[in-house]
Amino acid sequence: MNQPEKAQEFDSFSYDDDIVKKFVHATLIWGFIAMLAGVFIASQLANWRLNLGLPWITFGRLRPVHTNGAIFAFAGNAVFAGVYYSMQRLLKTRMYSDLLSRVHFWGWQLIIVAAAITLPLGYTVGKEYAELEWPIAFAINVIWVIFAFNFFKTIQIRRERHIYVAIWFYIATILTTALLHVLNTIQIPVSMWKSYPIYSGVQDALVQWWYGHNAVAFVLTTPFLGLMYYFLPKAADRPVYSYRLSIVHFWSLVFIYIWAGPHHLLYTALPEWAQTLGMIFSIMLIAPSWGGMINGLLTLRGAWNRVRTEPILKFFVAGLTFYGMATLEGPLLSIKSISAVGHYTDWIIGHVHGGTLGWNGFITFAMVYWLVPRLWNTKLYSEKLANLHFWVGFLGTLTYVISMWTAGITQGLMWRAIDASGKLVYPDFIETVTRIVPLYYVRAVGGALYLSGFVIMLYNIYRTIALAPKEVEPVVVRAPKLLEPTFEMLGRKPHRILEGLPGLFAVLSFVAVAVGTFIELTPAVLSSDYVAVNPAVKPYSPLQLQGRDIYVREGCYLCHSQMVRPLISETLRYGSYSRAEESVYDRPFQWGSKRTGPDLARVGGKYPDLWHYRHMMDPRDVTPDSIMPIYPWLYRDKIDFDVLKKKLQVMKSLGVPYTDDEVEHASDLAHEEAHRIASGLVAQGVPADTEDKDIIALIAYLQRLGADFKKGLIQ
Amino acid sequence: MTQKDDEQKNLTDHEYDGIREYDYQLPTWWLNLFYASIVFAAGYFIWYQWMDGRSIQEEYQAEKAKLDIILANEASKSATVSEADLLALVKEPAQIKAGKEVFQNRCAVCHGAQGQGLIGPNLTDEYWLHGGKLAQIAQTVTNGIPEKGMPPWGPLLTPQQIHSVVAYIRSIRGSNPPNAKAAQGELYKE
Repeated sequence: MNQPEKAQEFDSFSYDDDIVKKFVHATLIWGFIAMLAGVFIASQLANWRLNLGLPWITFGRLRPVHTNGAIFAFAGNAVFAGVYYSMQRLLKTRMYSDLLSRVHFWGWQLIIVAAAITLPLGYTVGKEYAELEWPIAFAINVIWVIFAFNFFKTIQIRRERHIYVAIWFYIATILTTALLHVLNTIQIPVSMWKSYPIYSGVQDALVQWWYGHNAVAFVLTTPFLGLMYYFLPKAADRPVYSYRLSIVHFWSLVFIYIWAGPHHLLYTALPEWAQTLGMIFSIMLIAPSWGGMINGLLTLRGAWNRVRTEPILKFFVAGLTFYGMATLEGPLLSIKSISAVGHYTDWIIGHVHGGTLGWNGFITFAMVYWLVPRLWNTKLYSEKLANLHFWVGFLGTLTYVISMWTAGITQGLMWRAIDASGKLVYPDFIETVTRIVPLYYVRAVGGALYLSGFVIMLYNIYRTIALAPKEVEPVVVRAPKLLEPTFEMLGRKPHRILEGLPGLFAVLSFVAVAVGTFIELTPAVLSSDYVAVNPAVKPYSPLQLQGRDIYVREGCYLCHSQMVRPLISETLRYGSYSRAEESVYDRPFQWGSKRTGPDLARVGGKYPDLWHYRHMMDPRDVTPDSIMPIYPWLYRDKIDFDVLKKKLQVMKSLGVPYTDDEVEHASDLAHEEAHRIASGLVAQGVPADTEDKDIIALIAYLQRLGADFKKGLIQ
Repeated sequence: MTQKDDEQKNLTDHEYDGIREYDYQLPTWWLNLFYASIVFAAGYFIWYQWMDGRSIQEEYQAEKAKLDIILANEASKSATVSEADLLALVKEPAQIKAGKEVFQNRCAVCHGAQGQGLIGPNLTDEYWLHGGKLAQIAQTVTNGIPEKGMPPWGPLLTPQQIHSVVAYIRSIRGSNPPNAKAAQGELYKE
């Protein structure tokens, strides 16, 4: 509109909407699978029998299918659909390369399929939302770079002088996600489906939560804000409320968000200055986050009467409101004393789902309801069903979030209750679990409601597409060619000029996220005295290492932490708090983020081997009300002794002080240790052929946890 | 000025695929919220990292000191119980009943529902690894044998509960339950 009108040549072209349709289909299919997996694992927590004793669908292996599926398959494909649709129109050009768009699409779907196969098989790195093993992680990097290349080339061939706020958010998303994923997945392969991260212990924890938190920021927040900035004004047919608010909240959001990761590690062995940075940047994040909500809600001024009738606007309003709630709740949970109550509990699960179900889900639904009739050149099959979807989804989200808040706060308070005589009021962990199991049922119902709403949408969209005209003429767009800019064409205000220089814009937004990254991560990754080395802490024996990999494989870290916090209620329950030097050989770190079961940092030596043997067979043998799954395959599957030499070699190359002799004889050493443990068990009546089974390696590892500390050499 | 005029005044000349932009002022309350959070953050960091604010470690040590005083008080209150007192409890059905309940909830998992021994040793025979005197058994229950996997129950049970469970254990001595675990430790006779 503001193009200086000289003698202009017009181009005729069409948009690539086929790629958008593909991503919409993928969003709907994977969304269904990810949500179904979610309802299933929620039901497993309510009733352990649903684990069915099958390795592939036991909670610890299926939970990453749900989380990765919801984030990268459902939300990821939704983002791509919205980005491909909106960016072509906002830049007035077809994508730079249709071929690269398709490589991106099919590559991404293959990655998802690979994830859906490998995760149930137990191939996992063992870091949340970064579970995919190295070949898949590498493929993600490659596909992401292809997407980024196509994206920036498209910006280069645009016919619109300035880039709109949605594009700013897409730029920040693409650059930062690449940075996050590449740095967090640097790992050394042991075999095709097993690798060890180059970071260990506290470093691994810091890098992982810098990644994990910013996956929320740059996969679930910034791209969705971009989508909101395109689809909300379109659906409401109203101008965006405030351009300057867009500028201020965009830059403050991307600059501040990247610092906030350590709030996932409050009261852990992470150095306190990093924890404090994580907390204060979370507090400063409230206003920048709310900037997006305000700009969205105020854009609806003059359209509020339509919110009553139009389901799309309902989804936008509710989505923005859930976004506002989640982005206030998150910073509050980052305050140290509130984190002390909420961390490791279901409160966090409730918080996350307020954001994912309420914000990501609802914005996606609004977008799909708006897009599909336009893409297929038809009308929505039923407004009524879309309204029904909204109310069912809304009720499901509230049921989910409220049940988890209640469960989390209840359990958090029970864990820390100490009576006048200095004793824990609920010394048995299981008491605090049985108390909240009813709420696990309520949560599963909430999730099932949400899924039902989604199924209503699938039906509605299916009917819409079925009714669409089969042959549609591609729409030809005419737009003036973009002339080489003179400085005055860009505008007078500095930010307006910057919007005309997307390359510089990209560089500056990369700098904005690099500052916090550099300041927080560099000391951890580069400095050798970040964690004092303690000679009392010895590397894992080959058998213990194998047991640890089994622990990772079964996803034990998803329900058990290994990090006793320096809080009285924790040290009374578990023993002395965890020190950073205790996990220097932990690749990956297994501090955990949730305690569905108790912390295990000090479990070594707490129970006899036979206790663990019986416990993994059926946890109810030793803890009658336990909700933990059974692990019968650990008693059938044989320990892979042959891989141990290679594992020790890789560990040694990463700086773990194994001797050449230990590496050479890793398998023999493991056999000896397994024999020792098994003999003790066999003497107590365990079957004689147990010696080479996975359970023995797992017991070796569990008995090691905290053992160095108990020797009294760590102060 | 009507609302229409106000909107016209604030409308920019930006247009992207039909999307227009107003340029309204930043909401004052929002801006103040942002400034306040920055001031709070700076103050918090300076106080806790560079000035007198207590670190997590110091906070913990202070809490621990308070708890230690409470625990020392409690320990002095529950004076050691004599062998005769414990033996007397064995004759009180109410004590045995209470002790049995504690045993089923806490001990049966490792020592078997009849005390026949399972993960832990048999408690119905006359052989004892850590002393068969009732006062010794009370000690074992209270402090545990951590290196063998017997947890200390002192932090979890009241002294009365520990005494009654010891009485119950004495009451099942010689009961010869089925599937009893082989004897371990030394013979003890009263």
